[in-house]
Amino acid sequence: MVNALGSSLDEIWPRLVAGDQSRLRLRDDLVPGQALRFGEVAGELAAIPTALAAYACRANRLGLSAYTGIRDSVESSKARFGAARIGVVVGSSTGGIAEAQAALAQWSRSGSMPESFRLVQLEFGGMAEFLAGIAGLEGPRYTLSTACSASAKALVSARTLLELDVCDAVVAGGVDTLCGLTANGFVALQAVAKDLTNPMSRNRSGITLGEGAALFLVMRERGGVQLLGAGESSDAHHMSAPDPEGKGAEACMRAALADAGLEPGAIAYVNLHGTGTPQNDATESAALERVFGRPIPCSSTKPLVGHALGASGALEAGICWMMLRRRDGARIAAPPHRWDGVRDPDLPPLALVPEATWIHAPPPAAIMSNSFGFGGSNCSVILAEEPE
Amino acid sequence: MNRVELVRWAAWAPDIATQEEWQAWARAPRPIVGSGSPEVRFLPGLQRRRCDALSRTMLEVAHGCCPEPLLSEVACVFATRHGPFSTTVAMLQDLATGSPLSPARFTHSVHNAPAGLFSIWAHNPRASSSLAGGAETFAHGFLEAAALLHREPERPVLFVTADESPPEPFDSIADPGAGAYGVALLLEIGDGGGALEFSLRQAPGVLTPLAWPDALEFLRWWITGEERLILGRGTRAWTWTRRD
Repeated sequence: MVNALGSSLDEIWPRLVAGDQSRLRLRDDLVPGQALRFGEVAGELAAIPTALAAYACRANRLGLSAYTGIRDSVESSKARFGAARIGVVVGSSTGGIAEAQAALAQWSRSGSMPESFRLVQLEFGGMAEFLAGIAGLEGPRYTLSTACSASAKALVSARTLLELDVCDAVVAGGVDTLCGLTANGFVALQAVAKDLTNPMSRNRSGITLGEGAALFLVMRERGGVQLLGAGESSDAHHMSAPDPEGKGAEACMRAALADAGLEPGAIAYVNLHGTGTPQNDATESAALERVFGRPIPCSSTKPLVGHALGASGALEAGICWMMLRRRDGARIAAPPHRWDGVRDPDLPPLALVPEATWIHAPPPAAIMSNSFGFGGSNCSVILAEEPE
Repeated sequence: MNRVELVRWAAWAPDIATQEEWQAWARAPRPIVGSGSPEVRFLPGLQRRRCDALSRTMLEVAHGCCPEPLLSEVACVFATRHGPFSTTVAMLQDLATGSPLSPARFTHSVHNAPAGLFSIWAHNPRASSSLAGGAETFAHGFLEAAALLHREPERPVLFVTADESPPEPFDSIADPGAGAYGVALLLEIGDGGGALEFSLRQAPGVLTPLAWPDALEFLRWWITGEERLILGRGTRAWTWTRRD
């Protein structure tokens, strides 16, 4: 995993549980005339090998950085199953649009595009092709792009490819980069926070954009962290605003519980979609209250890493994975919900996780992650750890 | 090996629209030329105005393929290699000139804009996927449709695939034969007249001809009644076999 908090799980985890917001920094180069905070991945990214130079874009460098964390597992799966039986399903909403923006800008000025630009950088499918190329995999490879639910849905598709016996293992997750298109687009929608995103607060004013990549190797094996359940729904309401009653959010959380065969009481923690927009937080909190019937321990990790759009589902599932893997006996550490602490009287009561919280959650206690996207595309996933 | 039933289909191209015209095309196929998009007269005015060329094409074939009572009930897969290409390029041009972006245009530039517009028009609250798979977008979309049918086998899945003709300047570096087209297939778990098997094998060296999109090659195969279709890229041989 790679995001604003670091480039490895060991770097990310301590900053996550400490609630470190210092990495959301001001940038004035993405939106003309505005300095806004962004969760940018710092430091040197992995270099694209020459043989795959056609795919050289920031998104694929982020993907490659994340891939190094699972390379050994993928290699041993390849030896076991063969390259043809391992697929790649990733989710993204930006792909290499930043490079396409630069290419078009140069074409507008000079009539020719940069020598290094290839259409496959702009194509979403190129991201899955690139990762398959890096890993030497021959199975199916495709990229889901359903806005902010994309990489949560990639995990669900990966699981189904195993069930269909098309694959024996699937590299699945998501990648998104900061770029002028999304930054200016969300500013145009008046959906960007004035300073830092402030989810669930009466003073919330929008999102803080981020970037990152998270990849899993999804297999049939029992033991370890399990993708216990998943639910999907469509709002069928509006392209850029959630259904005000939160029916879509509620339906997908209930579908995930049903798929996992769990009662709401079995969920110990929810990683919120929690974007900090007035509409998302209102609908998500109302749906949570209806599904769980009690203030369930929850937090949004977007005030720590930013909203990485198409990658956010995988990044947040990755955070849930770390919570389960780094448990202390019957307790799991939850990342704190960073906000100004001003409750919105219009929202139902929420058990937002305060600083350094341990949650009593003996195995096989499960945790949920929510992702709701543009176009009303929703996905909830439930993870739990099974003793090996 | 996965077994599904192809219940109905619909297709659109700039100069081919009716089932009879597609039957004729399948008997004497030729590359698809031209751009443009269908009129989608069935959409209310406001919704029609919100649709760009890709969304119009995808909604046109979805409407043509899916019987009215199922429109609000089918799970959907929307597969498109390039997504809302001209809308995206128009925004990149705005960025290049420093013009502010239109919020409506930004909203409708996402890859899943056709899926969102379909769900709103059809009042369809069910799961929906939008994807891209490069030159193999059709086969991967079919696979994702089979995956969705596996997850929710009680009702059919509507599989919609389309692309626009690539806009300038990206047309100069796109694959040849990239004319505008759209295909929709209504798939369900079944063993009736449209039953077929779908599998992914390894067969190095199989290469699909690029004269027309894979989705139309599938349609040509289905209409002409040949037994087996293989669409290949790299070492992947996507194989469909009739079982009726």
